Amino acid sequence: MSTLLLSRRLPVAADRMATAIRIAAIGCLVLFAVTTPGFLSAPAIRSFLTTMSFVGCVAVGMSFITIGGSLMSFSLGVGLSATTIVFVAALPLGLWPAAGLAILFSCLLNGVQGLVIGYLRANPIIVTMASFALITGIATQITAGRGIYAFGTETAAFKGNLGPVPLPLAVFLGVVVTGQAILGHTRIGRQIILTGSNPRSVLAAGIEPWRPITWSFVLAGFFTAFAAILMAARYGSGDLQHGIGMEYHAISAVLVGGTAIHGGSGSILRTFFGTLIIAVFQAVLVLRGFSTELQHLALGVLVLLVIILQRK
Amino acid sequence: MQQISGNRSMRPFIVLAAVGLVFLAQGGSTLVSASLGYSILQQFATLGPIALSLGLTMIIRHFDLSVAGHATVGGCIAVTLGVASPIGGIAAAAIFGLLFGALQGVLIVWLRLGSIGVTLGGLLTLNGFAYVITGNQEISLQRMELAQFVDDPLFLLASPRFLLAAALVVLAGFIAARTRLWPQIQATGSDPQAAVVAGVPTGVITLVIFALSGLLSACAGALLSYSLAAASPTALSNILVPAAAAAIIGGVSLGGGRGHPVGIAGGVLVLCTLQSCLTAIGVKPFAQDIVTGAVLLAVGISDSVELKRRLHDLRRLLPGRTRPRPTSEL
Repeated sequence: MSTLLLSRRLPVAADRMATAIRIAAIGCLVLFAVTTPGFLSAPAIRSFLTTMSFVGCVAVGMSFITIGGSLMSFSLGVGLSATTIVFVAALPLGLWPAAGLAILFSCLLNGVQGLVIGYLRANPIIVTMASFALITGIATQITAGRGIYAFGTETAAFKGNLGPVPLPLAVFLGVVVTGQAILGHTRIGRQIILTGSNPRSVLAAGIEPWRPITWSFVLAGFFTAFAAILMAARYGSGDLQHGIGMEYHAISAVLVGGTAIHGGSGSILRTFFGTLIIAVFQAVLVLRGFSTELQHLALGVLVLLVIILQRK
Repeated sequence: MQQISGNRSMRPFIVLAAVGLVFLAQGGSTLVSASLGYSILQQFATLGPIALSLGLTMIIRHFDLSVAGHATVGGCIAVTLGVASPIGGIAAAAIFGLLFGALQGVLIVWLRLGSIGVTLGGLLTLNGFAYVITGNQEISLQRMELAQFVDDPLFLLASPRFLLAAALVVLAGFIAARTRLWPQIQATGSDPQAAVVAGVPTGVITLVIFALSGLLSACAGALLSYSLAAASPTALSNILVPAAAAAIIGGVSLGGGRGHPVGIAGGVLVLCTLQSCLTAIGVKPFAQDIVTGAVLLAVGISDSVELKRRLHDLRRLLPGRTRPRPTSEL
């Protein structure tokens, strides 16, 4: 009897400890941030909120893939790069048609991978890795390895501010709200969560699992396209360099937010906080004069620690 | 045909034959030379141990994303310490890989964490180490004689770098064929719970494989950095794709339990032959990305769980194949 009680109590104690550690960690981060000279200045805050928005949109997209049980996509970063190229190449058609085409392209590019993974039940790691190599190769062949540039001021509308808020941040907040609404309040969103938590129960419920899996990739492409359009507008170019390493930044934000790597639990709101925590962490390191190298290392250790703390 | 395609260990050789035919059809026979063979072996020296690391973790139903990180850090450590003592540089890289790999193994076994998450964190941390060691730039090793030594053919076409890589693969193959460890590794991968019931120390095996994975990858990275006389934090970041491709061409299944070091070596040989032939024909490097990606995708699809069922579904949809039901029965 006593062992039974003990085994029941232990998880609760562990949960409480994990929560305590999380609160303590966030408290430390806030304390560090506030006491960092220059952190609370308007330019610093604007700068890190803008940079955070690009990664954030990709991370929201990645959340759907992770929550849907497909771990992560290795091709989301290079897909973003390809989308910036499509957007800039389509600019002669006009700003909004180009944006529409870019979104459509990104949805299709990722949706096809989702279809292969869902319909054939192929391994997501292998399929997205293969897609990474294929997209890199094909895009390099088409662009001859050079970026393409947007001449003139046609992208100006996507660069400015929306009132007092930088446009990328406004878009990111919109993406978070839309993403959370889709995940939490639509049928397909709930099916994605269910597929991630228990694929067999999905079958038992009479749902073909390949539909939610494909949808999770389409949504990932959809939200990544916003990051691509904003980045292309900001840098005035479509380039394969834009998305390098983005899939790793995105999955870091997803995991730091507390979404489980094996799927089935998590939310877009968590990803938002994950993105925010990493952005604040990096801004503090920069302002305190840590080198780029140490920032890379600190981010890696942070992700590793968060994964250890996720232990059930 | 069904039997041949169903036999996983035959897979690298089927792909190799296809590669050879295409190569000869493209007029490649004039290009077959000693330098082509040398180039294949040199590529094997880098990719072989890394693909073996990844393949071994896949056989025990895990996935080590950090192999590229281990290779990168191994190279950076070896270049930093190799100026004073080349052997010391490799030894330091190997020990670091062993310890970090073992640390990941401990986290996976003791804390029961998923290997994808742990090795993802490990990969990011290792990349951070590489940035810190190199100061975010390419560092060079001022010992050209060392580069010559590791790359000059020692025996026929085989350089010391290839010989060391081949020795590691042969050692793994020997363990697989001759010791009791191998059935235990297979059991761990094919059904972990049944393996525990049967008395297999699955935890120890997982830990050992992850430590070995770090060690092998770090050695490959160290040797490559000697050969290039340089190391940088981003040079090897894309090696995960060919390593995974080589492992699954070599017959390793992501479901665990299936695969063999010799098969993985065959997979590596196929991929290296493919890439060397493409280079010899004069195909640009990005076309190699396309070929590697296409091969990986094809093998990934042919391994997918529901391929047969879906093909059956599609066949039923074709109008010519379905026999019309006789009207008399209605």
